[in-house]
Amino acid sequence: MSSADIEIKKLKKVYYKDKMEIPVLAGLDLSISAGEFVALMGPSGSGKSTLLHLIGGLDTATAGSVRVGESLLETMSEAQLTSWRSRHVGFIFQMYHLVPVLTAAQNVELPLLLFKMKSSERKERVKTALTIVGLGDRMDHRPNQLSGGQEQRVAIARAIVTDPDVILADEPTGDLDAKTSEEILNLLNLLNEEFGKTILMVTHDPKAAAHAKKTVHLEKGQLEREEFSNRQPMAAAR
Amino acid sequence: MNLRLVYLHRNLTRNVRRSLLTCAAVGLPIMIYVLSMSVVHGVDKFLDNSAKQLRIVVTQKTSIVNPLPEGHRKKIEALDESKQRLTSVCGVQWIGGQRENDPTPLSVMAADADSFVSTMPEYELTQDEIDAWQKDRQAIIIGSGPAGQLGWKIGDRVSIVPTLPPYRAMEFHVISTAPKAPDNQSIFFRKDYLNEELKKDGFPEGQVSFFFVKCATKKDLDEFREKIDAAFAGSLDETRSLDEKTFMNEFIAQQFDLPKNLAILSGLTVFVAIMAAMNTMSMNFRDRIAEMATLKSLGFSGGFAFSLIQTESLLLCSLGGLVGAIVPFVVFTYTPARDFQVPLIQTLVVEWVTCMKALGIAVFIGLVAGVWPSWMAMRMHVVRALRNLE
Ligand SMILES: Nc1ncnc2c1ncn2[C@@H]1O[C@H](COP(=O)(O)OP(=O)(O)OP(=O)(O)O)[C@@H](O)[C@H]1O
Ligand SMILES: [Mg+2]
Repeated sequence: MSSADIEIKKLKKVYYKDKMEIPVLAGLDLSISAGEFVALMGPSGSGKSTLLHLIGGLDTATAGSVRVGESLLETMSEAQLTSWRSRHVGFIFQMYHLVPVLTAAQNVELPLLLFKMKSSERKERVKTALTIVGLGDRMDHRPNQLSGGQEQRVAIARAIVTDPDVILADEPTGDLDAKTSEEILNLLNLLNEEFGKTILMVTHDPKAAAHAKKTVHLEKGQLEREEFSNRQPMAAAR
Repeated sequence: MNLRLVYLHRNLTRNVRRSLLTCAAVGLPIMIYVLSMSVVHGVDKFLDNSAKQLRIVVTQKTSIVNPLPEGHRKKIEALDESKQRLTSVCGVQWIGGQRENDPTPLSVMAADADSFVSTMPEYELTQDEIDAWQKDRQAIIIGSGPAGQLGWKIGDRVSIVPTLPPYRAMEFHVISTAPKAPDNQSIFFRKDYLNEELKKDGFPEGQVSFFFVKCATKKDLDEFREKIDAAFAGSLDETRSLDEKTFMNEFIAQQFDLPKNLAILSGLTVFVAIMAAMNTMSMNFRDRIAEMATLKSLGFSGGFAFSLIQTESLLLCSLGGLVGAIVPFVVFTYTPARDFQVPLIQTLVVEWVTCMKALGIAVFIGLVAGVWPSWMAMRMHVVRALRNLE
C-alpha cells in the first residue's frame, strides 16, 4: 500500500490558440502531503482539470516543477511519463470511461496487463479491488448493465488495482445523484483512510469538498485560499 | 482467456454489421482476384500446351486476315526434303460460321486433309476417327465445347453457314468431338471439300489463312521460323512466322487482352477494398477516441494503441480474404461448378497457390488500411482527446 506526497512549484501552463496566449496556470504553488485528501474547487475554466492532468503526467507544463513522491515529472520523456503513470497514478473521470465491450472484471484487469504478473495473481487483485468498491457480485456485468454509480465504482476499482501512490479524480460525482455521490465519496474516504492513498479531487460541489480534509480554491491561475474541514474520520464516526 | 485476445475479439464484434460489410468489401475483390488469376493461369496453361507442340504458325506478313496461297505449303516442305526436321505442314483456312437461324459464332476451319492428323497429334483421334476423316470428304471434327453446347454427336449430319465464301449452308458429317483436344472450341473440316464448294459458286479457291508447321525440336522451330520468312521475302506473298504460343497470345490479345484487363480489374477492386477497410478502421478509431485516451491515461503506450488498431485491421481483412479465397476454391473443386466450361481453358481450376497469394493480398490490404488510423491512435494526445478536441 503505497502513498506519495505532491509538491508543485511555480507551475505555469499557457495554451496557444490562433497564436493568442491563453494563460491558465500562472506560477502556482501547492503542497499535498502523503495520505492527504484534498478537494480542488474553482470556477469553470479556472484550470482545475489542467492542473490534474499536469500532476498525472498526461500533459506537460510550460514552466515550473511537479514532484510526485520521488519523481520529477518535468525531467521525464513522454514514454517515461506513460510508464510512470501505470505504476503511480490512478485516474477517475466524471464520465467513468469504461471499455463498453469488457466486463467489470476485465475493465479492472486492463491496467494490470502493463505489469509482469501471473494470471492468477491478476485475477486475485481484480477480485479484491472490486470487493473493496462493493461490486464483488457484479464481476461479469458489462458497463451497460450497471448503473452510473456502479460504473464509477468499477472505474475506481480500475484506478486502485495497481496500488497507485496518488488518486486523481476529476469531478467523480459530477454525473451522479446526491445519494450515489455520497456513496462514491465515502468510498474515496475509505481509500484515503484505510489504504492511506493521497487523493486530489476536483469538484464543484461544496458537499463533496466537505469529504476532503482540505479544500483549495483555484482562481485566475493561482491558489486563492485553503480551508480545512472539520470532518471526522470515518473510523471515528463508526 | 487472455484479456488482450478477448479485447481484440470484442472490438471486432463491437459493430457486427460494419465488420461484416468490411469483410465483404475485402472478400469480394479477393474472390475476383482468385477467379481472374485462375482464368489467366488457365490461358497460360493452354498456351504452354500449344508451345509443347513445337509448331510454327505462318501467316501473311501484313495481316492475319490476308490469305496466303496454298502453294506455299510445297515451298515450306521443300526447305526440309528429309521431313526429319519439318515433319508436317498443314494449311488452314478460317471461315467462321454459325448454324442456320442461330447467331452463336463458331470457329470453323478447313484443314489439309492429308496432314491434319500428323500436324495436330494432340487431338488424339482414334483409328476409326482417322479412317472416317480420310474416307469422308464431308467429315467434320467438332470441338467438345460447341459439341456439348449444340448437342452434336458422332454420326450427326449437321449444317453450317460460313461467315466467309461460299456464304451458304454446307453439310457435314460429325466424325469426332475431339474430347482430348486442349483447344475445345475449334471445328475442323477438310479443305478439299471447301475448295470444291467454292469452285461451284465461282469463288477463288486455294487460299489459306495460316500454315501450321510441325517441327521435330525446339532448335528446328527457332531455325525454320526465320528460314520460312526468308524464303518468301521479296515475293508477292511475304510471310510472318511465329511460334504457336506467341501466335495464340497475339490472337487472344487482339480480341481482348485478358491478362492485362484482369490485372487492371483486380488492381481496381483491391484499391476499393483498401478504401473501404481504411474507412471502417477510421470510423472504429473515431468511435473509440475516448476509450483510447483512457487506455493511455492508464499507462498504455502509443505503440499499444497502434498495434490494437493495426491488428484489428489485419484480422478483419484476413478474415474477409480467407472467405474470398476459400469460396471459389471450394466451389470449383468440390461442387458441380468444377465442370464449368470456359472457352479456351476448358474447366476452371482454382489452385491453392492462387488462394494463398490472394490471402497475402488481403493481409496487405489490412496492413495498408490500418496504418493511418493506427498512426492517429498512436499520436493522439490524451488530454486533447479527453477534451474532444481530436
Ligand atoms: N487545448 C487548449 N487550447 C486552448 N485553451 C485550452 C485548451 N485546453 C484548455 N484550455 C483552456 O484552459 C482553461 C482551463 O481549462 P480546464 O479544463 O482546466 O478548466 P476547469 O477548471 O477544469 O473547468 P471546468 O470546471 O469547466 O471543468 C479553459 O479556459 C480552457 O478553455
Ligand atoms: Mg474540468
